[in-house]
Amino acid sequence: MTKLIGPIIHSGKTNRMMMVLVLVSLAPSLVAAVMRFGFAAALLVICALAGAWLTELVIDRRQAFDGSAVVTGVIFALLLPVTAPWWLALIGGMLATGLGKHAFGGLGCNLFNPAALSRVILMGLIPGAWFISTAVTIDGITTASPLARESGLLAPTITGLLSGSIPGTIGQVAPLAVLAGGLMLVSLRTIDWRIPLTFLATVAFLALVLPPGIRIEGHAPWLLGNPLLHLVGGGTLLAAFYMLSDPVTAPFTPGGRIIFAVVAALAMMLVRFYTPYPDGAALAVLLANASVPLIDRLTLELGPPPSLEPPDNL
Amino acid sequence: MSSLDWVFSSAREALYGRQVPRLKTTRESAIITIPTPRRVRLLSDGLNPVVEVGQAIEGGKLVARSPVNERFQRRIHASLTGTVTAVREDHIIIEGDLPERPPLTHGVPEWIAPEAIRDTSREAGLIGMGGGMFPTYVKLSHPAPIEVVLVNGCESEPYLTCDHRVLVEQRDQANCGAELAMRAVGARQGMIVDREINYPGGYERLLIHDTLGKVVPKRGLPRDVGVLVMNVQSALALHEAVCLGRPLIDRVITVDGDAVGRPGNYRVPIGTELGHLQKVCEIDAAKAAMILTGGPMMGTAADEATPVTGGTGAVIALTAEELGDYRPQPCIRCGQCMEVCPYNLPVAHLVESPHKVVLDCIECGACQFTCPARRPLIEELRRAKAVVTAWD
Repeated sequence: MTKLIGPIIHSGKTNRMMMVLVLVSLAPSLVAAVMRFGFAAALLVICALAGAWLTELVIDRRQAFDGSAVVTGVIFALLLPVTAPWWLALIGGMLATGLGKHAFGGLGCNLFNPAALSRVILMGLIPGAWFISTAVTIDGITTASPLARESGLLAPTITGLLSGSIPGTIGQVAPLAVLAGGLMLVSLRTIDWRIPLTFLATVAFLALVLPPGIRIEGHAPWLLGNPLLHLVGGGTLLAAFYMLSDPVTAPFTPGGRIIFAVVAALAMMLVRFYTPYPDGAALAVLLANASVPLIDRLTLELGPPPSLEPPDNL
Repeated sequence: MSSLDWVFSSAREALYGRQVPRLKTTRESAIITIPTPRRVRLLSDGLNPVVEVGQAIEGGKLVARSPVNERFQRRIHASLTGTVTAVREDHIIIEGDLPERPPLTHGVPEWIAPEAIRDTSREAGLIGMGGGMFPTYVKLSHPAPIEVVLVNGCESEPYLTCDHRVLVEQRDQANCGAELAMRAVGARQGMIVDREINYPGGYERLLIHDTLGKVVPKRGLPRDVGVLVMNVQSALALHEAVCLGRPLIDRVITVDGDAVGRPGNYRVPIGTELGHLQKVCEIDAAKAAMILTGGPMMGTAADEATPVTGGTGAVIALTAEELGDYRPQPCIRCGQCMEVCPYNLPVAHLVESPHKVVLDCIECGACQFTCPARRPLIEELRRAKAVVTAWD
């Protein structure tokens, strides 16, 4: 007669199930991107996905089927402008899983969001591939860059942002699709609602209160203090629902997650307002990720011990 | 009487002598409890009534008694729960408010003293039958003042319904047990809690918080907040010991799981080996991947020779498909362990870097049940507890 250690039945939930839910929630964004850009977007997604997944397969075969590399690949692809070359997607996917995840020890061990890390590194190393590949015209709009750089030429409007007729990365062209996917994840409780809510609320607040910075050449739209533009434009929604809400790289406690989302929003809005860097969402995600160990330490160890009172939902 | 009958009776008289006939035609008829009458007429000739017209009265309560100076004392009790509608010279009428209600509920006889209850529970070997198996008399004897007796009927473990069935079928007796416990400790309030509640809400501390809003201190016991918690079957056993003189020799258990052919609640003698239950309840040994005593969250693996004890609430035989797959994957810090923890412990974090709050963990297993990475969290939590304990 052995004492069992813990329950013998299980809820049946798996990591893979959570990844599948994330992928399903990304489907509207992917469909919107392919409808908008056609084969170019599909190719980038496939390349990023292949890069991410094959890298994982080579490095750790056991983890290759839990779906996390697929999620990473897709999110990275959504951060690419549709004008990006296919090899950028492939390298980005490889870098995301290889450096962003496995270099830290694999699933659950990474400090930074793999897709955001890959994007920021590649933007630093080969900015040309992101910004200067010009003159691809689709639907009569030059989609030469991520949203910010050149769209000073055509001031973004809310209807334009919502309908996807504004240049941007392939994940940014359909904010409503991203929002729908994100709300699905929130309602299924796959992600913690506190992170996107706090993040979006803080972004809107900062857009209203931050004083405009010195005008920087080619840096028009973010100097507009319109909170709606900041919410639906750039990588805000992707960061809110997909990058910041990745539990691996978010703080553990509900309180910590709120602090984390505020830090991310602050970082993003400071970048947008006061630097020539166009979007800042990915960079803000990395900055917030870097603060997670400290936030965890403050909320878990130095803070008051968890309440002895059981919650009311029993 | 026909002539043939006359011949027979004459022959009988010749054989057995002249007798009054026996006429025992209902000898084989079982006793049937009649539908409760709407009213009862209690004869009270020569007695002093202690009730008034219009008074609500519970079955079993005194309605009339002899004058004090009478040599042969008589007492009459209400045989119906209802209202006194007439008090006459020679009779008292009680009209029932609920015709279906059994005529007599089990109240605590007023003449049983607290010491007698404590002594009986010690001599009858009563224990906590929710699984704790702590001697009942110790709980009933502690000098700390107790205000509330909570009878815990919230078996929140999956599968278990034995306490529920006891409450359905023998609620009055359990009630009596609760009243006996109240008298033993001098409590003024008693309640049977049998709400349907999610695991692990039936755990004593959580139940106290949930029901009374009181927080049992960290290293303390329910009595520190003036509460005594006892399991439904412990209360029933207290009733049987005190009122029927019956020591603890059996209990009701739930037998369930997909490998059980005849699942149900069974009253079994304590010490019954699982091998016997396997036959009675048709547990398919080939299908059963695991047989447990207790529920699937906190139970113990058992075999044919394992006996049912006073603290065994269930025998669960699970097939391979019902067993959780616990091949662990990396933790993705999703935080669901903390969300389901009744004490809001950051489980995934605590197993990585132990902190003294881990000692609050009651090892209910809710975190391990829900963990999408299927971490063996209880094992890891125990290790963390050992680390923290070594600090002191």
